Amino acid sequence: MVTWPDGVDLITLEEVSSTMVEAANRAPSLTKPTWIMARRQTAARGRRGRTWQNPEGNLAATLVFKPDASPQEAALRAFTASLALYSALAERVSAEELALKWPNDVLLSGRKIAGILLESAGTTGRIDWLAIGIGVNVTTCPEADADASFAPVSLADIGCHDSADALLTRLAHHMELWETTLVTQGFAPVRAAWLARAAKIGEAITARTTHDEFSGIFEKIDETGQLVLSTPKGQVVVPAGDVFF
Amino acid sequence: MTKRSHDDDVEFIKALAELLSDNDLSELQVKRDYPEEGSLNVRVSRMATAPVAVQMAAPAPPAPVAAPAAVAPSDAGPSEASDPATLPGAVTSPMVGTVYLSAEPDAPPFVKVGDTISAGDTLLIIEAMKTMNQIPAPTSGTVKRILVEDGAPVEFGAPLMVVE
Repeated sequence: MVTWPDGVDLITLEEVSSTMVEAANRAPSLTKPTWIMARRQTAARGRRGRTWQNPEGNLAATLVFKPDASPQEAALRAFTASLALYSALAERVSAEELALKWPNDVLLSGRKIAGILLESAGTTGRIDWLAIGIGVNVTTCPEADADASFAPVSLADIGCHDSADALLTRLAHHMELWETTLVTQGFAPVRAAWLARAAKIGEAITARTTHDEFSGIFEKIDETGQLVLSTPKGQVVVPAGDVFF
Repeated sequence: MTKRSHDDDVEFIKALAELLSDNDLSELQVKRDYPEEGSLNVRVSRMATAPVAVQMAAPAPPAPVAAPAAVAPSDAGPSEASDPATLPGAVTSPMVGTVYLSAEPDAPPFVKVGDTISAGDTLLIIEAMKTMNQIPAPTSGTVKRILVEDGAPVEFGAPLMVVE
């Protein structure tokens, strides 16, 4: 039985606009890594203002903490967070059904089971705080979004009856383990573990950036976490974008 | 070989520059798509130190990708006063990533040139690997210049804004 990690706080709230907003507001006064969980979010959101449907019963939680990290190092939590969620889910569903998609998506049976959003703040070259927001479709599958490239799925859809609270405990546990791995051993073991669970390695994928689209063979992620594609024109390194296949 | 000539592009840019000056505009940006020949992105600006910027996109994806500097190369102007990164009040990028000037695509920008801001106000966001890093104003003051475009890639140390 996984237990809540030592030294990590949990704040459970009935209703908030968004756990990310709550995290940003509380960050300056927090002294310990803290998970903020909400039963209901009235203005849940995803990356770049995309809406995130968060029916009650699904998990909505944000981990906010203050790693001693540059923004680039902080961004590596895209990988630790998706690995932690993968590990938390793999205790209840077959790992064969799970896969990671660059940089931080977790797919269940090729569909979107969760959303992860990371926000940090700071100008000085070290971040002031980092917030990792995670929404998981536990009991309810949201309506399919016309723009979404991957159809949604819930744990209940595949016959897995989990609860948001139990899932969060496992998630907090694995997040702590992967964070420790990253801080003590660097990105290499995180990268290796992530690649071992990634979908479409060695296969054709498409990465869309703000202004471009690149199609090629998904070769690897590099030492800084960037996506590396092998295309007929040579190697393409993508620092940010959306991946499709 | 390209069918359009270099001279055509120069004429086009000159015409834009005249348009800018005749209409008393401070900046003008145009993208021209050429079938099978990529596109021409032109930004002409009358900011004191900004040279005419031309970015030519190849028809095929360039590779390997080194994120181009967000600020126009200044090889057009030998009289260029200084690198904006060295200006007092320059806010530089602490990371490699993609710049966003607003919280979401249709939202108003965090700040505009001329805005009075307080230390800690969010100036822009830089995204790397889905991590949205808010860049707060290091000091209170006025936004003098915005040196990056929404959606542009930036390198570590690239000048983003000038706040004085």
